Amino acid sequence: MTHITYAQAINRALAEEMERDENVILYGQDVAHWGGIFKVTNGLMNRFGEERVFDSPISENVMVGAGVGAAIMGLRPVVELQFADFLITAADEVLFKAGMWRFMHGGAFKVPLVVRLPSGSTGAGPEHSTCPEAYVMHSPGLLCAVPSTPADAKALLKQAIRNDNPVMYFEHRMLYQQRGPVGDADDVLPFGKARICREGRSLTIVAWQFMLSRVLEAAETLAAEGIDVEVIDPRTLSPFDWETVLASVRKTGGCLVVEEGYRSLGVGAEIGAMICEHAFAYLERPFRRLAIPDVPIPSAPALVDYVIPSVAKILQEVREVMKG
Amino acid sequence: MLSCPLVEVYRLSLLSRRFEERVARLALEGFLPPMLHPGAGHEVSQIAALAALRPLDPVIYSHRGLAYMVARGVSLQAILCDIAGRVGGTNNGKGGIMHVVDPSRGIYGESGTLGGGLVVATGMGMALQKKKSDALVVHFFGDGGSNRGPFHESLNWAAVQKLPVIFVCENNGWAVSVPASRSTAVEDISLRAIGYGIPGHIVQGDDPEQVFATFAQAADRARAGQGPSLIEIKAVRLLGHYSTDPQDYRSDVASASEKDPLPKLADMLLAQGLADTAALSAMEQEIERQIADAVAQARQAPLIDAREAMTDLFA
Ligand SMILES: Cc1ncc(C[n+]2csc(CCOP(=O)(O)OP(=O)(O)O)c2C)c(N)n1
Repeated sequence: MTHITYAQAINRALAEEMERDENVILYGQDVAHWGGIFKVTNGLMNRFGEERVFDSPISENVMVGAGVGAAIMGLRPVVELQFADFLITAADEVLFKAGMWRFMHGGAFKVPLVVRLPSGSTGAGPEHSTCPEAYVMHSPGLLCAVPSTPADAKALLKQAIRNDNPVMYFEHRMLYQQRGPVGDADDVLPFGKARICREGRSLTIVAWQFMLSRVLEAAETLAAEGIDVEVIDPRTLSPFDWETVLASVRKTGGCLVVEEGYRSLGVGAEIGAMICEHAFAYLERPFRRLAIPDVPIPSAPALVDYVIPSVAKILQEVREVMKG
Repeated sequence: MLSCPLVEVYRLSLLSRRFEERVARLALEGFLPPMLHPGAGHEVSQIAALAALRPLDPVIYSHRGLAYMVARGVSLQAILCDIAGRVGGTNNGKGGIMHVVDPSRGIYGESGTLGGGLVVATGMGMALQKKKSDALVVHFFGDGGSNRGPFHESLNWAAVQKLPVIFVCENNGWAVSVPASRSTAVEDISLRAIGYGIPGHIVQGDDPEQVFATFAQAADRARAGQGPSLIEIKAVRLLGHYSTDPQDYRSDVASASEKDPLPKLADMLLAQGLADTAALSAMEQEIERQIADAVAQARQAPLIDAREAMTDLFA
């Protein structure tokens, strides 16, 4: 057991999987010689050679599309898009090629592709700041991993690489330098198993990645006020562990989703709809969402802080919900 | 170097032509949906191109016609079942006519979005190179599709990595109703190869020997690790964009039919003594029989269970 950062955990998962399976290749802009703009892939080219770890041109369509082609021919490509926002730049390749190529050809191929997507705002402006998980959830054929801790980052990435399906793997940039315990063992997490980070009876809160850390911080304050929230980290959004979330809502009688995506038709909207369909009778208070209002994520820190759910806003929201 | 098997190119082209005509008739009868983009006019060059490659070199084809599958021996009945949504097709009712697939014959399917095939084919070439295979990928697309960004990204990527891919632009001068003169600034798509530092070739769609020789040369280059080529086939679209297209935007329909490569190839076989009229009519009869058998079998196949819609998404 060592304490390493989320970025180091990702690096370790990549190294271990490349060691284990020679079909794993890794490419993206600046990932090889320079080790990635966020230094997540540092040292991998030296270790595995330029055949397997290489810099790609700025060509997001072919980066993802070639990953699909290589995957159907038996490689296991891991593609880094420099910013998660570029998922949309390569939308045809992500949504249609990765998501549908197997289905539309009647299951003739497997598409074991991983697309790594550094997400979240660091003040780089509207096109370099989003958490576009909802697009992935909305698209059949794609899996979506959202690790929140170094241990999960490693174990979910190992699962993503071994999985025979296309996985959109979101790595939140505000978490890259966070440290946490990571086992030395070959831990692999299954997809679709949420983690109850904190048990409670007052209200269920679903959050992941950067928002999870804020929710957990808020939970301490709330506990002191006698509001005992249950916090669930879904770990993967597709598949989604509905069982765990619905069971929790049936116990607490309420649910708040805190997310870093846009509010309208976001991940929270889907969670709310599922709760209405499957646990409506248990609701003691209205379902609520705290998300980015429907504006692009700006650049200046004050504006960013205003749109991204803060600990203070989470506290305010929970207190209001609990008042009924 | 091998020479082009002209009689076989003719036979497969004729089979493809007659089969396609039959598919169009079956659509009028209501047995099949009218989803066909006819390949009439393109067959000879498509088949001569594939004849120059190995039988398992992976193909990502384009929407125009069925000659690619016919050339690789995919069963006509399976193709009909794919179109008709019947059991016995290749894609279980998921992709229909557009996504006929058979990896055991090197048929790797098609992208529904233009340009999507270029990126996937590029990645397939990447896998072949990394696995040190001496196979190559061939990808067909239209002149219209060559105006999309993925064309640029794929050719640059394949060129810089020296991937074993042959990019084939079938230039029939039309993209649905828009003539190339209104959409494309250069007349020859092959000129664009210069921008990627790779060879660009033009071949005439009615000259199977030229097509064969050029593909054989590009294949040698790819297998030798020297990278991709761009080959432009000057093709003719004899029919509409889709089978029921009235083509009211088009004034060259009559002159197009004079450019049909298929009768020209028949004349050439006769002139060179490679076949006589008796042999050609026997061939025609055999083709009619083959198609009739496939249609009869497809008619007997049951419709696909609708619950198939929920399968094949994840491995
Ligand atoms: C990205 C995308 N845009 C538009 C279409 C609709 N579409 C299908 S075929 C076609 C024309 C293609 O022309 P060309 O590439 O020249 O091939 P041709 O049909 O002439 O063989 C169009 C516009 C599509 N399938 N994908």
